[in-house]
Amino acid sequence: MRCLKSTSIFLQIIRYNESVTGIDEGKLIAQVAQGNESAFLALYDRYVSRVHGLTLHILRDPVLAEEATQDTFLKLWSRARQYLVERGPFLPWLLTIARHVALDRLRLEARRPLISDTNDPEDMWQKLPDLDSMGEETRWRSLYFAVKSLPTDQRNVIELAYYQGLSQSEIAEVLGWPLGTVKTRLRAAMEKLREAWNES
Amino acid sequence: MAPDEHTPFQEIIPAYAIGALDVDDVAALEAHLKTCASCPTELAEYRALSDSLLTAIPAKQPSAALRKSLQSRLPSAQKVARPPWTFSFSRLALGFAIVALLVLNIVSFAQLRQLQTQQTTLLTQVENAHIVLGLMSSPGIQMIPISGEEASGTLLLDKGNNKAALILQNLPELMENQIYQIWLVKSDGGRDNGGLFRPESGQTYTTKVILPPQSFSNYVRIGVTVEPAGGSDAPTGERVFRVEF
Repeated sequence: MRCLKSTSIFLQIIRYNESVTGIDEGKLIAQVAQGNESAFLALYDRYVSRVHGLTLHILRDPVLAEEATQDTFLKLWSRARQYLVERGPFLPWLLTIARHVALDRLRLEARRPLISDTNDPEDMWQKLPDLDSMGEETRWRSLYFAVKSLPTDQRNVIELAYYQGLSQSEIAEVLGWPLGTVKTRLRAAMEKLREAWNES
Repeated sequence: MAPDEHTPFQEIIPAYAIGALDVDDVAALEAHLKTCASCPTELAEYRALSDSLLTAIPAKQPSAALRKSLQSRLPSAQKVARPPWTFSFSRLALGFAIVALLVLNIVSFAQLRQLQTQQTTLLTQVENAHIVLGLMSSPGIQMIPISGEEASGTLLLDKGNNKAALILQNLPELMENQIYQIWLVKSDGGRDNGGLFRPESGQTYTTKVILPPQSFSNYVRIGVTVEPAGGSDAPTGERVFRVEF
């Protein structure tokens, strides 16, 4: 009986992972590369919340974020054949496109992100990822908590560098810190995240 | 490379991995990466971390309208993708089957038309034979022999019942664009069309029933000429024979 229960739980875990990650993801991407709209919409339904979460995090404007999300999926439609399974999972590849699209839009809008913006990145890290993102990869979830537990100064530097696309000099200018301080805090933050990433 | 030369580059790798390194330092680091044994490995680790940072952001659902908007922006020509054509024996067999069915249908249709034509001819022959038998049994029957240069036979004439029939033999074959036309000739020389006919191929006798537009008592003789297919309003071709009543 105990064995059966364990097997049942195991199967449930497999089904859950399949429903979240999708065992036919590679097939869907190949179909999108051939212009299959149904497959494209299936990928959209599966990942749009992840893409939109990122574009909104970067742009902090719902309208601009939706435009960037749409542009990201249009790029997916035209570039699906460039994705190679051997190079890694699909989601980070898609999110990399989303990041570039959002940062380009940020530069186009000539917005200079300030740490005192209404949508403070500090607030963003207070929100827990949804169940989907928590279930996808335990390591990603660990990384979320690792970023969240960084000292505020270090987290702000990561936020401005990675999610706002600023160089170290620009960060120094925005925060009014010496450049050396920015470099030190950024390096320290990245080392902590790397450590957490390797331990997870 | 001495450790004091290596360390400054090692320290800026995290910033480089997330794209935050200032332009002035990028060129120097990239040059160093080409010669250093350990830094590329460290850079790879930080790049993996950089990719993973993207996934650490909480998900957020956009408005439902975005999906429709996105759909409307997809190139319509590509909405239904055509799979590339590939050869397969099953497709080839299906193609042959379709062609065979088409050929079979065409042949069957031609045979059906031929049978219908034969049936019509047979019905006409039976009808003519029936009328001829009726004429021959009539007490007022006139049997007038026909003796032309190219044809011979008999005219069966029943003026009382206003019916007549030609029974001919040795009629010359006609070309496709020709036909025999019967003329009913009045005493004043006027002519009425008495009908068209062609020799019955493979038959010894050709029978043609004549249905006059007026009473036979108004006519004095019958003539037959060769006319263009479809007939003429007045005789134009060679006369085959004529019969006086």
